[in-house]
Amino acid sequence: MNRFITLMPRNILYFVCLLSGSVCAQEINAESVIGAPTQEGNKLWEGVKKTWRDDIQFHGFLSQGLFSSSGNNIYGQSKDSVSADSTEIGLNVSYQAFNNLSFAVQGLYRRAGANTGDAGEVTLDFGFVDLNLLNLSDGRIGVRGGRIKNPWGLYNETRDVAFTHPTILLPLAYFERSRTLFLALDGGQLYADYNTSMGDFSFKFNYGWANADDKELLTAIINDPTASGYLESDPSFVTQLSYEILGGEYVFALSYAELNMRYQAKNIGDPYAQLDADIKSFIISAQYNGEKISFTGEYSLQWNEFTDIRFGVPDNSPVSEHWYVQAGYRLLDNLQATLRYDSTVQDKNDRYGKGVEAATGGMVPGHLMYAQDIVFGLRWDITPAWMIRAEYHRMHGATTISLLENPDFSKIVKNWNIYALQVAFRF
Amino acid sequence: MRLFFINRYIKQKRLKSLLLCISLCLNAQAVDATEVIVSANAVGQLKNSHKLQAIFSLRTLYWPNGEKIKVFVLPDNNAVHKKFVKEKLGMFPHQLRRTWNRMTYTGTGQPPITVDSIEEMLDKIQHTNNAIGYIDRRVEGESIQYFNAP
Repeated sequence: MNRFITLMPRNILYFVCLLSGSVCAQEINAESVIGAPTQEGNKLWEGVKKTWRDDIQFHGFLSQGLFSSSGNNIYGQSKDSVSADSTEIGLNVSYQAFNNLSFAVQGLYRRAGANTGDAGEVTLDFGFVDLNLLNLSDGRIGVRGGRIKNPWGLYNETRDVAFTHPTILLPLAYFERSRTLFLALDGGQLYADYNTSMGDFSFKFNYGWANADDKELLTAIINDPTASGYLESDPSFVTQLSYEILGGEYVFALSYAELNMRYQAKNIGDPYAQLDADIKSFIISAQYNGEKISFTGEYSLQWNEFTDIRFGVPDNSPVSEHWYVQAGYRLLDNLQATLRYDSTVQDKNDRYGKGVEAATGGMVPGHLMYAQDIVFGLRWDITPAWMIRAEYHRMHGATTISLLENPDFSKIVKNWNIYALQVAFRF
Repeated sequence: MRLFFINRYIKQKRLKSLLLCISLCLNAQAVDATEVIVSANAVGQLKNSHKLQAIFSLRTLYWPNGEKIKVFVLPDNNAVHKKFVKEKLGMFPHQLRRTWNRMTYTGTGQPPITVDSIEEMLDKIQHTNNAIGYIDRRVEGESIQYFNAP
């Protein structure tokens, strides 16, 4: 009897163990049966394999935004109304011709309020040939020629792809007015990657000509929307060194840009004919991407040199400062909340625009020279291809608004709100 | 006194049985671990597991024989993908996606090819040269090659 008592619990435990083992085994068998491709499937696959070239890939994205605001307009007539004038559609194709030679091109359709007009704009976003010169197991060096996106900060290269940044409106450092100028260079890029056990280094150096022909940018420099000429780029460069640890859990980057422009007059006697505009700027970036929590911070200084603006107007060399801190929390794998404090000033020595206000006799309000923004956003990745998000911005200052959408300086409001909703698709 | 010894004997046996059971359960867990699979022509070229992160992050683009690595993955929200990324790469799916998106939408790289099921993954790896992918557990089959095959 005693022996029976000792054996009983042991046997029960063994039985439970065996049972659990056999359940696992059954699952494996079931999986391997499912895993075995049928003969019919094989034939079909062989057919597909012959016709499909896996060295060519197509990808794209689409996003549509809805904006509503108080005080000032953003992306169309959003003030006390709802504007749907924000659309981005991109399509790209890449072709790996040889192991060391590839081609990539992307077209972009974009509608962004008054800046692009109702019909929107179609542009060549990038288009280049990539020649890989050296490929080692721990790194590579190569060159690209054509139109290449500028590696500036964490978001500039993919700023028009909604999926790649956490909020609908990018941090103020990436504001709309300098978008065209900073977007890409026509020329060449030298790139080098080096992977170590301590982390991965990536270096990019772009040299070439920017797209400086942007009405908003010109208006901001000369404070005159009636100028008939346009800005043209001189040779410029943008470079970035980035360092990532643990596959991107920690990201650090330093970017530097020198963008040079001059005015091209269309008429003889154009008062701005001698205008020269040079921008030097750095942005330092740090990011932590944890399982649930993420932190991002970027700080940028921009030295602007506007010389020979027109007769009687003194040269202007304001130093702009942009910075933000941002925290993200994943409530679920596919549901992320973001909170950001963002600040930008057009002139570090005239933070509240008092000087500009006094110099223009109050015509240009001081709050057109700075902005602080508190953002709260919620993003839901419904599937890997579809995403929807909403956000609220409490704005103090209005430097980022489009003057084409807010032409009356006297009506520009200092404290205002933005409500935004966006749906996006990618493949 | 005798009763005391019996009690102790029972307790010892219970403990041993419990340990055995736990170890068996752990084994069962290990069977469920994701497994990295490769094409027949890529077997044994790379065995170092720390290279996996570089391969799936597209930092290592070529096999040692010079052929381009063809990477296959399951969708970001697939449970096996999440498990694989955590277990084998020591990363989170959103980190990989960030890297892939940057390459895809700047034209500087081609992202991995996404398949919809384990069945499709097995099929692609078995019928594509220089390919790498993963499945949810080790299965027996002549044509399935493992990254860390002995």
